[in-house]
Amino acid sequence: MKNYDVIIIGGGHNGLVASSYLSKKGKKVLVIEKNENVGGLAEYANSLNCVSPIIKKELNINVANISNTNHIISLEDNQNHTVLEDNSGKLSFIKTNADEEDQQNFLSIINNYKLFSKTLGSFMYQKPPRVKSGKRSDLLQLISMGWKIRKLGKKNMRELLRIIGLNIADDLEDNLNNNNLMGLLSHEAILGTNLGPRSPGSILTLLYKQAINDNIFNLKKIEVGDYINQLEDCCNKNSVEIIKSSEVKKILTQNNSVTGIQLNNGENLESSCVVSNADPKTTYLNLLGAEILDTDFIRRTKNFRNKGNVAKLELVLENEIAINNIDKNMYGKFIYAPSIKYIEHAFNKNKYNHFSENPCLEFYVNQNTLSANVYYVPYLINSSHQENEIIKRCISVLNKFIPDMKIAKEKLITPNQMEEKYNINGGHWHHGDLEIDQLLMMRPFYGSAQYSTPINGLYLCSAGTHPGGGLTGINGLNAAKKVIEDMK
Amino acid sequence: MNSSVISYKKPLLETPFHERTSEHCYSNDWYRWAGYKVAKEFSSTELEYTSMRNTAGVIDITPMHKYEIKGEDAKKFINKLITKDISNIQSNQVAYGIWCNEDGMVIDDGTIFCFDKNHFRIFCAERNLNWFSDTATGFNVTVEDISPTIAALAFQGPLSCKILNLLKVENIENLKPFHFDHYNLENHNVTISRTGFSGDLGYEIWCDPSQAIDVWDSLFKFNKDYKVLAAGMNALEMVRIEAGFIQPNADFMSAEQALRPNRMRNPYELGLGWLVNLDKDYFTGKTALTKIKLKPPEKKLVGLDIEGDKPAVGSVLYDKEKKEIGIVTAAMWSPTLKSNIAIGYVNNDFMKVGSTVFAEIYHPEELEYKKIWANCKVVKKQFFNPQRRYSIPAEI
Repeated sequence: MKNYDVIIIGGGHNGLVASSYLSKKGKKVLVIEKNENVGGLAEYANSLNCVSPIIKKELNINVANISNTNHIISLEDNQNHTVLEDNSGKLSFIKTNADEEDQQNFLSIINNYKLFSKTLGSFMYQKPPRVKSGKRSDLLQLISMGWKIRKLGKKNMRELLRIIGLNIADDLEDNLNNNNLMGLLSHEAILGTNLGPRSPGSILTLLYKQAINDNIFNLKKIEVGDYINQLEDCCNKNSVEIIKSSEVKKILTQNNSVTGIQLNNGENLESSCVVSNADPKTTYLNLLGAEILDTDFIRRTKNFRNKGNVAKLELVLENEIAINNIDKNMYGKFIYAPSIKYIEHAFNKNKYNHFSENPCLEFYVNQNTLSANVYYVPYLINSSHQENEIIKRCISVLNKFIPDMKIAKEKLITPNQMEEKYNINGGHWHHGDLEIDQLLMMRPFYGSAQYSTPINGLYLCSAGTHPGGGLTGINGLNAAKKVIEDMK
Repeated sequence: MNSSVISYKKPLLETPFHERTSEHCYSNDWYRWAGYKVAKEFSSTELEYTSMRNTAGVIDITPMHKYEIKGEDAKKFINKLITKDISNIQSNQVAYGIWCNEDGMVIDDGTIFCFDKNHFRIFCAERNLNWFSDTATGFNVTVEDISPTIAALAFQGPLSCKILNLLKVENIENLKPFHFDHYNLENHNVTISRTGFSGDLGYEIWCDPSQAIDVWDSLFKFNKDYKVLAAGMNALEMVRIEAGFIQPNADFMSAEQALRPNRMRNPYELGLGWLVNLDKDYFTGKTALTKIKLKPPEKKLVGLDIEGDKPAVGSVLYDKEKKEIGIVTAAMWSPTLKSNIAIGYVNNDFMKVGSTVFAEIYHPEELEYKKIWANCKVVKKQFFNPQRRYSIPAEI
């Protein structure tokens, strides 16, 4: 039986970050990855550029931006599309049917949100404070969080506190008239989380995602494969052992403390410290087993909202793709979410586990390939998707803007398939909704926050922890710090 | 089972014994229990109490919640649920247990019947399906609420065994306390357990609702010689205080229902520490209780022997400097013991048996309150505990 200082379950990017940090501190680390390659869900997230600068610096990682677009196109059925340009954070309208006043209001809403998300962003890289620990450091951190909000000034603080629990539709309808613009911002707020534009808290989700990505429309892309390779190199350099194509069956415990793990092939590996990069539900209910956790804790685990609803659609066409009424040089991030009502109707179907006739889409075009995020495609427990029907409905939406589509190849990844491939319960991008009761010191839930768990020696480092998903690597970094602190 | 359907036309359900209980219930005064109506008092609480202490009393306990636990992990499930270790429980044995939440605070207590190692039944006063189902996560068991499918009577009193014997219930006298078995009672197959809420010799009879009336009638068959009375909830309250049994939401707030966290109570505060086995591998609340046990409890539920004869219902307790140190949760004048008894919480300094505290009793006397300052001695909660409760074979 082999013995390690730390065993990390799952070679996703957070697992790799955590193992790099731990091994740099001289720990003997083993990473177990289910798939043939490390990286996990990162390969899926090809439009994110939010790797924490701290991690880039400390692990000596250079990821190049491969951003080749700065246009956002909000498509409209009547072909009067809105085109926005993003000049290093400064937005301007290139083309729109919205009137002058709406355009001004739209930009000022975005500026407001930017200000608020900066405030939120300052909490992002820290370990969230524990509310009732009585420790000075936690208290100071809480005070500093309050101070940062107060520093916004009286008017802005009041505005932040007004909108923080609000739904995005209400705020947009107060300030805008143009349906297309409202649809565009609503889309950014709710994509990847189980909310509709009229669900309470959708503004907070937008601010939070903006804080993670440092940009409201997150146009910048990085070469994710390159980033993962560098992380793996970093692990190898620090002599982290990585076992691929091997699945963990069980986390072994004795007297409320971790003793090691059991692999699917029956092999046992010993360690008094296990860091799980699996989502909280998988970690607690499948790997650890509910029978050794308190019933209240099981309740909270089961109630963690982690229902994914975004599917990925990859299309290859026979000819080069041309979008109606848009110049080639303006191609960028296309969004089809024409109004709040349209999105909300699609969301209504999703509530009852149906896929809307009229789905919302976000897609990128490259020559004759098209890669789209489709929502709402509900994660189904007791039934399965009719994939052909989903593809058909997406194509009929795309057909409005791309006439004569001759499809050579099509591929759909539903939340259920994501669950299976990456071992993420619920197939959720962020492992769990980014909502007010599942953020900061409440993420993933009471009794499991701050990367620790009720079991001694077991830690979480996945997107299910603070600050959530989005390729920041902060989860892994903070978890590693916590492990090192506890080992002292 | 029409009667189990809740409708607004018939807000409170009637138990399978209702045909009889309503005949006996002269006062027509009903107590609301889990959506059913049961008699508070039939004609005279004192008479009903006296029958339970001197002959035998019959109480309709059908509204009690009954949960069926089945599956190969049934025993493991129970061991995670309750604080006591039941690894060695045998078939036909009954265990008394409590269950706590993750903070070690008591949710409810109940009796657990072991049919075999894969089949248990839990009887308790509060609804617990939600808690049991969540506790069952990860175990190969099914939890089912079978409350409406079983009619139940408590048959309590010194002559209870004798009457069952006269009814030709074979070998009933050899049923040990906290055991149960299947018997033939006047040509009906019923389950009888030697358990109860009176602290005396007594049985609980569990049968199919269709047999309910026959079973009820049979218990009164020898009334010419042995006066058996139907007893109501008020009389039951009297005997349970004498026996020192505690009740959720009366002596302590169930942790699932308390709104204020400081109103929840741990087993040590309730004097139920003997039901907690911290050596057991795992149960909900173990981590918390291990910590709680290290510190002496701040308050404890104790028995009080109070001077005078005026019951200290709802009294506040003081020390001799008139500083508030506790509260009474249940109190009565005990006709059997001829003493004024109560159950209540006292602070750390007064929880030892023999300590003296004072109760401020407000006794209503013809539209005026008589204020009494009464000396109380802290005693064991179990005021009434006759030897016949334990004797095997039981007294016939």
